[in-house]
Amino acid sequence: MRSIPGSSALLFAAFSGALAALSGCKAGDLAAPLPAAHADDPAPRRGGILRLSSFADIRVIDPANVADGLVPEVNNVLFAGLVDYDEAGRVVPDLAERWEVLDDGKRFRFVLRRGARFHDGEEVTADDVKRSVERALGPGAPNPYASFYESLVGFAAFQSGKEDALRGVTVEGRYVVDFRLSERDATFLPVLALQPLRPVCRSAGRRYSDAWTPCGAGPFRFVEGGTEHGRHVSVVRHEGYHKPGLPHLDGITWTFLVNLATERFKFERGDIDVLHDFLQADVTRLVRDPRWRPFGAFDVERQIGGESMNTEIPPFDNVEIRRAVAAAIDREHYRLVRPANIRPFGSPVPPAVPGYDPAAPVQRFDPAAALEHMRKAGYPYDPATRTGGWPHPIPYYVYRTGLAEYTAQILVQELARIGLRLEIHVVNYPTYIAFTGRRGKAPITSYGWQQDYPHPHDFFDPLFHSHSIAEESSNNTAFYRNPDLDDLLDRAKRELDPAAQKVLYAEAQRIVCDEAPWAFTHTFRFYDVHQPYVRGYRPHAVWTHRVQESWLDRTGADGPRALLDHGRREALGALLGSARDARGRR
Amino acid sequence: MMRRLARRLAWSAFVVWATVTLAFVVSNVLPQDPARMIAGAQARPKDVERVRAQLGLDRPLYVQYTTFLRRLVHVGPALGASRPEAHATCGGAGPLHVDLGTSYQKRKAVVALISDALPRTLFLAATATLLQLVLGVASGTIAAAKRGTVWDRGTVAVTLLGISVPTYMIGILLQWVFADRLRLLPLDGYGRTPLEHVTSVILPATTLGIFGAAWYTRLVRDEMIELLHQDHVRTARAKGAGRLAVVVRHALRNALVPLVTVVALDFGGLLGGAIVTESVFRWPGLGSLGVGAVLDRDGPVILGSVLVTAIVVVVMSLAVDLAYPLLDPRVRAR
Repeated sequence: MRSIPGSSALLFAAFSGALAALSGCKAGDLAAPLPAAHADDPAPRRGGILRLSSFADIRVIDPANVADGLVPEVNNVLFAGLVDYDEAGRVVPDLAERWEVLDDGKRFRFVLRRGARFHDGEEVTADDVKRSVERALGPGAPNPYASFYESLVGFAAFQSGKEDALRGVTVEGRYVVDFRLSERDATFLPVLALQPLRPVCRSAGRRYSDAWTPCGAGPFRFVEGGTEHGRHVSVVRHEGYHKPGLPHLDGITWTFLVNLATERFKFERGDIDVLHDFLQADVTRLVRDPRWRPFGAFDVERQIGGESMNTEIPPFDNVEIRRAVAAAIDREHYRLVRPANIRPFGSPVPPAVPGYDPAAPVQRFDPAAALEHMRKAGYPYDPATRTGGWPHPIPYYVYRTGLAEYTAQILVQELARIGLRLEIHVVNYPTYIAFTGRRGKAPITSYGWQQDYPHPHDFFDPLFHSHSIAEESSNNTAFYRNPDLDDLLDRAKRELDPAAQKVLYAEAQRIVCDEAPWAFTHTFRFYDVHQPYVRGYRPHAVWTHRVQESWLDRTGADGPRALLDHGRREALGALLGSARDARGRR
Repeated sequence: MMRRLARRLAWSAFVVWATVTLAFVVSNVLPQDPARMIAGAQARPKDVERVRAQLGLDRPLYVQYTTFLRRLVHVGPALGASRPEAHATCGGAGPLHVDLGTSYQKRKAVVALISDALPRTLFLAATATLLQLVLGVASGTIAAAKRGTVWDRGTVAVTLLGISVPTYMIGILLQWVFADRLRLLPLDGYGRTPLEHVTSVILPATTLGIFGAAWYTRLVRDEMIELLHQDHVRTARAKGAGRLAVVVRHALRNALVPLVTVVALDFGGLLGGAIVTESVFRWPGLGSLGVGAVLDRDGPVILGSVLVTAIVVVVMSLAVDLAYPLLDPRVRAR
């Protein structure tokens, strides 16, 4: 480069002016909601395509391979199960019209609804249920949830290929199927209501294969060519759906890998109907905006967060140090990082999970107690002189763009007040996942757990039972081992009486909060907002975007776009006006 | 000439092999766990182990590598509509098969994923390259020919802006102005019809083109200024050649020689994936595919993307080498 001619501030000024004028409004202003045509009429209307989107992508549409967090939304409308969850997370009948618990809780008998049909028109029978279960749990299926069903009789032999059929599932008639368990299992119904074992059409075959067109008995059916990786999925109404009058919608489309800013643009102009992914600033604006508030809602809290301390690595092999950490964290400070989404919380089971006991002991912020625990641990710390404490820096792993990248800075300060010095190591997500699950690697990490199914066992067992410890991929990231807790959790899993079960889990919570393999810090809840013309849309305790009963009430054939046409003309006028202004200034 | 070409081809093949081998080693020695990325962060250890075994990730690294190489190019039955299951993930022509395996995450043949993404990336890269070339050469030439005037100053100022502003900012700005506010173009995506493909490519290609055009403008302007002061140009003027003819025939033609190298390598780079732009505009090309694979530790797709990118860059580099003698008689004479 040889020379750069003189100042061109004029150009920059004109450019900036044009942009400012083009915006025609204050930066970040939200468009007004697009109204419903018949807001006062509660009767559902039939028709219309609901448009959803996500910044992420789905991998595979198959209940036997639920491989990402987004695909359950799609599976949910394509595949009906024997049982499902209601809005509060309780197990309710779906393809099964009823069930019985037999043999002291070791056998579940399901009686199927007659006349329920798959998308290919075939009736759903007990044979289909057994075939679908064997397809999902067979040796070649990549099902990441298979071990949830290991209490079925013959599971291990079938999955290892030693036996051709799963002995624990037997057909007792065209509409009757039995599931036999090797021991009583209070989690069996909640895990059955998940998606992996949902019946699939005969075209799916008896064994898992990637080359299959999704076909189930859900309220919507797949259309050939209705999906492309990284782009979209489209489904249309299944006219043979077993619930009369449902669904109301003609279809649903999902668009994937949409940039977060673009999602908001699309939502405001009515190109997508429900917004679930947000830039943090947009959540705050939407929650505060009185025009949008009636159409937004927080999901139930089904995710906990905390600091997982590796009980095999010093100094966290010392229970007093762990207690000190649990008492040293002011959870209110965590809330400030994401005020809309985070709630301070000091217990291992989120409040929305059935069986949650608000009276059970929790961890609390108590700086004096934290210092006392440090003294008992043998590492007293004097905050006035800043002397004492654990003498070595402690590596703390977080991943980029995760919440912990922000909360880490709070934690470092909180623990410095009791004499623990953390060194933050920011790594990418795959490395973080590998490190946290690898034995002897990470002394303390920020960790979260999202409910797989609504039951306390789903939090206690993977996170704190010793059988969840592995050399690699350990769910028990604290590598915490307590035979009393193991015994308690095993008994609670076999206990079918809810009241007795509650007592056992309260005791488990007492142990975990006291011995503190984790310092529990918060629950996380997501926010959804929909356009007013999306009706019958409510948050669900388990599923995101459960839209089986939603309907659309748009103002006209071209609804939202027509409403916004004047906005487009205004913007064009603003641009032309700014160009004239820029010329004038020159 | 033929010996030189053969030597270049052999060297190119070595570069591609070395790049892919390096990618294989790096993606396997990093402290990460692909099986857990596949099964999910909350998958139970037993399920993670089963997934690991199903995908052969529990085998020694050299076994995985030799399996990959043996499968990569092989001979098999002609690929028709009905193909044997053993060759379900192959692509190729006639009996010559290319098999990059199955994506861990998407459970589809990598060859098919790349076949879907490559034409789209090619379309975007070609449009962006054409745009930046036309804009860059035209504005660089004008700026040099009118050196010191308001045209020159304006061009330099705009190119400074184009080079300085990050691509993602340009992308979001263009998207906001032309798609969100003015509604003239689609916000993102690739569209479903040929017309939609064309309208959809405008914003991402412009985003890439602005940066490239700014860069090319600077390059052409500086080369042209240098050339316009050369003896042969002065001689041409003295012999009565018109100003336009001198600029185009005697200066611009020579200025294009260094530009060819830059354009070819840029084009190769864009084919490798304009990662940020593809992400902002949800363009389903190789960039999105490769980045997704890296984030998910999807080994077969990573290797497939690296292989395609390496081949493209090597081919473009070879093409430049072959094009030089055609553009510059001095090279031909050597």
